[in-house]
Amino acid sequence: MGTLIKKDLSSPTRPKITKQFFYRKVIPVLFVLPILLIHMTVVLGPSISSIYFSLTEWNGIGPAKFIGLANFQKITTDRQYIHAFQNNLIWLLFFLTIPIAMALIAASLIAPLKKGGLFFRAILFIPYILPSVITASIWKDLLHIDIGLGGVAARLGMPFLNIAYFGRTDTALLAAAFVDNWHWWGFLMVLFLTAMQSVPQELYDAAKIDGANRWNEFIHVTLPGIRPTLVFMLLMTGIWSFLAFDYVWITTQGGPAGASELLSILVFKNAFQRFNAGYAAAIGLTMSFFAGIIIGIFQILRKRGWEI
Amino acid sequence: MMRFLFPRRTSSLVPNYIIVLLLVIFAIGPLVILVFNSLKTPADAGRNLIGFPREIILSNYPRAWVVGQFGKTLPNTLILVAGTVVATLILSGMAAYSIAKLNLPGSGILTMYMLISSSLPIQLFLVPLFFLWRKLGLVNNLLGLIIIYVATNAPFSIFLLRSYMIQIPSDFEDAARVDGAGEWDVFQRVVVPLAWPAFLTVGLVVGLSVWNEYLLATVFLTKQELFTVVTSYYNFSTAYGGRDWGLTSAGAVMMIFPLVVLFLLMQRRFIEGLTQGGLKG
Amino acid sequence: MNLMRRFVIVLVVATLLLASCAPSSTQAPASQQTGGTTESGQTSEKKPTITLWLDSGGDATQLQCMIDNIVGNFNKKGNSFTVEAQPLANSWDATRTAITGGGGPDIVITPGPSFAYEMAKAGQLLALDQYAQEFGWDKQFLPWALSLGKVDGKLYSIPHEIETLVLYYNKTVFEQHGWKPPKTIDEYLKLVEDIKAAGLIPNAAGNSDWKPADEHYWSIFVNHMAGPQKVYDALTGKIPWTDPDFEKAIDTMNQLFMNGDFMGSLDRYYTTKSTEFLTALGDGKAAMAPSGTWWMGTIGNYFGEKANNSNDWDWVPFPTTDGSPLFTLGIGSTYSINAATKYPKESAQFLTYYFSPEAQSISITQCGIAPAPINLTTQQLKGIDPRRARLIEELSKAAANGQYGYTTWTFWPPKSDVYIYDEIEKVWAKQVTVQDYLKGLNDLFQEELKAGNIPPIPERK
Repeated sequence: MGTLIKKDLSSPTRPKITKQFFYRKVIPVLFVLPILLIHMTVVLGPSISSIYFSLTEWNGIGPAKFIGLANFQKITTDRQYIHAFQNNLIWLLFFLTIPIAMALIAASLIAPLKKGGLFFRAILFIPYILPSVITASIWKDLLHIDIGLGGVAARLGMPFLNIAYFGRTDTALLAAAFVDNWHWWGFLMVLFLTAMQSVPQELYDAAKIDGANRWNEFIHVTLPGIRPTLVFMLLMTGIWSFLAFDYVWITTQGGPAGASELLSILVFKNAFQRFNAGYAAAIGLTMSFFAGIIIGIFQILRKRGWEI
Repeated sequence: MMRFLFPRRTSSLVPNYIIVLLLVIFAIGPLVILVFNSLKTPADAGRNLIGFPREIILSNYPRAWVVGQFGKTLPNTLILVAGTVVATLILSGMAAYSIAKLNLPGSGILTMYMLISSSLPIQLFLVPLFFLWRKLGLVNNLLGLIIIYVATNAPFSIFLLRSYMIQIPSDFEDAARVDGAGEWDVFQRVVVPLAWPAFLTVGLVVGLSVWNEYLLATVFLTKQELFTVVTSYYNFSTAYGGRDWGLTSAGAVMMIFPLVVLFLLMQRRFIEGLTQGGLKG
Repeated sequence: MNLMRRFVIVLVVATLLLASCAPSSTQAPASQQTGGTTESGQTSEKKPTITLWLDSGGDATQLQCMIDNIVGNFNKKGNSFTVEAQPLANSWDATRTAITGGGGPDIVITPGPSFAYEMAKAGQLLALDQYAQEFGWDKQFLPWALSLGKVDGKLYSIPHEIETLVLYYNKTVFEQHGWKPPKTIDEYLKLVEDIKAAGLIPNAAGNSDWKPADEHYWSIFVNHMAGPQKVYDALTGKIPWTDPDFEKAIDTMNQLFMNGDFMGSLDRYYTTKSTEFLTALGDGKAAMAPSGTWWMGTIGNYFGEKANNSNDWDWVPFPTTDGSPLFTLGIGSTYSINAATKYPKESAQFLTYYFSPEAQSISITQCGIAPAPINLTTQQLKGIDPRRARLIEELSKAAANGQYGYTTWTFWPPKSDVYIYDEIEKVWAKQVTVQDYLKGLNDLFQEELKAGNIPPIPERK
């Protein structure tokens, strides 16, 4: 047998097939392998050990005690968890609408500009490049009661705007979302603008010939033209909104009275402040589950032939 | 007057300019105020945080430079940013090329894996990761942190590069392959130049995320000589914030200023890359 | 090209060889060193280094003073090792993560006995009894304080910085309005109304930069209204936290917060930083500030010429129901030795110096850091602000007479402690009733009591 194979290999047709196999299967894998190995070492391995920790009672310091699914049972009745989850949904709704709308409007306003388009794009992108620590501290002061913008509004005859936005249970979450969005929407805008500028000009010309106004142009040419980018960013927004942490943590730490608590804040507090690292791991896993639902929607869209 | 200034073809764009200008004020106004505050005395800033300084003082800047230890922390941040961006562009670029153009077997599973992993909160794998890194001697090591950053930035980078590469017609690559180029050459000589704008965007996003990253940098770099600009600024702002407003604002301006300048320079190249990308031509 | 490649390989091999040799070459002088320290002046020698991580979140000048004048002094003494103090933001989070990963500093600083307690239980700290005996710590420290660091009869941590809660007030403003510092709770409540009527903020306060500040006020009202004996009984499990006296104390505090008697309104309280409320007190916008003695060393910066006002400050013990003075005690942080350290004895040697009267005298008089629970003579306190001297004197007298209460962050188990400041805001937001709040606290507390997670509570006389 062995000799037969050797003979086959040396025949002129065989190498071609293995070479093809090499090109089709091995080379693509080699291109992916380095980043995949790094990623698995950093994220996958440690995350799997966290799955184990989610089944334990663990104070984050000592040994972990296996307790089965008790942490997940606790989640279903935990008022804090349910409240944080509701806040996450509000956060998701905010980021699926306001930044996307702002970015689409700005991008479609800038796209046709012959003069200053590049300038505006650069300027509007600037907030995105600032460290969260600085952005949050700038806005904490701009939204400061009396000496901030509220004080200015009061002097202009609108005293009802002079409130401590981060200190009220009815405004803290939205104030934190506002600050996060201040740095975020410009980034979205640049991505949309890039996509819009690669929509062929002929399509717009054709639409003009058909007598389309700017709204029709936007709906029938621009939106389909940037659909891969738009859907991709909606998807990423959905995922990221469940991970949002920095801005809330720096501005309100989830307060007051838990009014701006998100699931990520609960994970952090349980892991590092409440000695409930096992419970924190369980909450973290549920966050991944919600993100998984969004990914599922994405997969369905792809199966339906959307190119995203 | 308006007609005169704006000929008929562009006059319909006047509302565009007005709305965009309002957005510009929204985006830049807070930064202008920050610069004003960096020129104020503490007493002045404490009385009003909005508006012009009553008297302009520059002494906040040299003080913030010394107290914030920028001279020591800037090199660390630059090494982290450069290392992560270069490694990400090469490694994520290769992966994106493989998924977009090479019919990678199991690419659906890989996409799924990357999507799911990018939805994991960092706090979930932080402690086990620290344990592992400690064993490997990668704590308090810039390379160790670069590896982490490359991994955490991989999903976004791969997806963005992939979705750009998909739009590139395969004709270019096929032509190169017919000429006898290997896949590495096709990637390096054909795809990278064509997808250059996407690479630049990814480099920008990843570089900034590394420059701005706080949580991992505090946990994995505990030695003072390895502090980054952000971690040391955070130290400094918690120590002086709310009291010495001019000082912390000056520190913030010094952190932002080189960023903004660098961004504007890169932005120009970014735009060049777009226009010369060869997609429209 | 080939030559170049060969050169690179040689270079890499050489580097690897050097790297693998390095540890053995540094080991040799280190082991010689234990024989004698006469050659310590030579630069070629490598001394072992022990590390401690200090939190840089607090007052920067205090921190630098401690590094220069205490750690620096110690290193100048020609010891066989050097101590390296590293300032770190969020040093506690970093310490916990590092130690869980098997590393961390040699000398472990925690935010309080209950944290040290958890770590000791997990086997991450070294038992210190051997060194306590060898270096005479039992004579150096006040006995009640050292007993706080014991877990299952063994000493694991040393308390640092005795803290207590007092009532600061703007003396100038008080004199202008003819107000007298209150002695009883009733006087205090009456004064709050008077101050409000005069158009000032009664209590300067805020938790924007330190969310757990809520528990400072909680500790004050519970101890000073319900009395320390009741608190002791509850902490030892004899009575529940749902006792009507506790309910009354919490109710009184809640009324003040919900009326805006702390900083003007709840939303202002939530968005005010400590530097801001001290400024409000200094400028005379607020008349009083119930808070911790950790401000004693720096509060002067908010008054007089330095702060562009002509005001002065003073303090009294926070009022009690019957008017007798009471000091609610706490420990700001604890010092321990990492179980994984290579240099346990050296670490203990540094701790001995750090808590010596010599170093503590520098710490208190030069750096403005609160005193450690050790015996100090008046000579060693020379030159400090008389108001601080009075505090140290009255505090040790009160502690000896049993006139002390219990701060939540020192004597409560960790989960109950977090519950206290996390959930009280929900009561203020009218989402939870006081009864439900206390019932929740009691359930959690009894659970932790049963698990044995309570730090040792000093017995009452």
